[in-house]
Amino acid sequence: MIGSENRLERGAEKGLRGVLPFVTTLGLVLLMQLQYRLSFLDDLFPFLSLVGVYYWSIFKPRLMPVSVVFLLGLLQDILSGGPIGMMALLFILVRLFVIRQGRRFLEREFLFNWLVFIMVSPVFGLATWAIASLYLKESQNIWNIFGQSILTIVIFPLVTSALGWVRYLLADENR
Amino acid sequence: MKELRHRFSSGFFIILALALLIFGSNNTPLLDRIRSGVVDIFVPVLDIASRPFEGVNDFIDWTRQVAIVFSENNRLRAENSQLQKAQIKASQLAIDNQRLKKLLNVGEGKVKIIAAARVVSDSDSPFFKSVLINRGTRDGVKKGQAVINEDGIVGRIISAGRSSARVLLATDINSRIPVKLASNGVNMILEGDNSLFPRLAFLPMGGKPVIGNLILTSGYGMVFPHDLLVGQVIKTDEEGIRVKLSAKLYNLNYVSVVEYDITRPLPPGGGGKSRRTEKK
Repeated sequence: MIGSENRLERGAEKGLRGVLPFVTTLGLVLLMQLQYRLSFLDDLFPFLSLVGVYYWSIFKPRLMPVSVVFLLGLLQDILSGGPIGMMALLFILVRLFVIRQGRRFLEREFLFNWLVFIMVSPVFGLATWAIASLYLKESQNIWNIFGQSILTIVIFPLVTSALGWVRYLLADENR
Repeated sequence: MKELRHRFSSGFFIILALALLIFGSNNTPLLDRIRSGVVDIFVPVLDIASRPFEGVNDFIDWTRQVAIVFSENNRLRAENSQLQKAQIKASQLAIDNQRLKKLLNVGEGKVKIIAAARVVSDSDSPFFKSVLINRGTRDGVKKGQAVINEDGIVGRIISAGRSSARVLLATDINSRIPVKLASNGVNMILEGDNSLFPRLAFLPMGGKPVIGNLILTSGYGMVFPHDLLVGQVIKTDEEGIRVKLSAKLYNLNYVSVVEYDITRPLPPGGGGKSRRTEKK
């Protein structure tokens, strides 16, 4: 009886831990929607949610399935007032890119992941620029995107160290 | 088998996202409703999450005000004596104005404040300039209403849910606001282009503004009441005429949603009741 209760407790704990990647990335999506009252951040706010999707796709891909990535992207599109489907599509492509590399390839030390992200972030930014320009039928200012990508790269260590702390909670969770 | 399933699900969601991207651009009423419904759910969360930033901002503002309180007091005393003289002149002109309007049967614009709202979210995107407010259809907010604050115009409502609404800012690429030059009343259009300083378009011949000119709303289009402060011309070159908006759109706190209507009195002997113009 006591054994089954323990199993139940462990199951519930495991379930709660299992949603942490989703919850943390959702938190990053919401953080991106807040008003920071700084004029320069208005155009150059870093892609925080991209860091979340990238990080969890490397370390806990099973807890960040494509359906969850799609939902998070869709939510970001809805809350930001952008074209519906843009972030959903780009997040899935980022996840696909990470999965294609193979877990052993990216699951190395932090510096290697950061170097790969330095390539991912501008490509992601360029893709948002291209989609937004097509959607608005007018070429948009490309320099803002570079600024956004650079800020995302700069903030990457900070966000991933916070996510790393969350991952520590998931340490005994099977992938 | 697992690999096949993964490929299938990725492919399915990619196609779904692409379909939403292509067909979602039509802004169908159903999609609009779903969007507003989702926003309604998240606005209370965003409202709470944005409170600390408001607190920090208020504190910074307060410190800034304390630092300049003495010089500001002297400036306001001087301004007050000037305004007292201007007020006497203005009240005489207002009486004249009222009398002439009556004679010419000019429609009187009526501004109705629908709701005071708090800005809870900002798109923070270089391509889409909009904010979310915590008032919706249950407070009387509707698509097409104007949004202003104490400094000037902010934007207009583009979608409204039950308890939230999205405001398209005056700087957004899709924003067009009929404006006029304060000095001579020449009408033009303020066009957003996603930059900090929107440009003036459809300038009539000989109506070229110069740097420093004040821009006001013209009242055409029946969205914004006339004579609201828009901003000041800060740049005139071959790339266009740019306006610095009076309202700091990156630092919005509370805004007012207003509705503008024109009531045109019937000519003398027409029954004494006023008739309202039909809104488009």
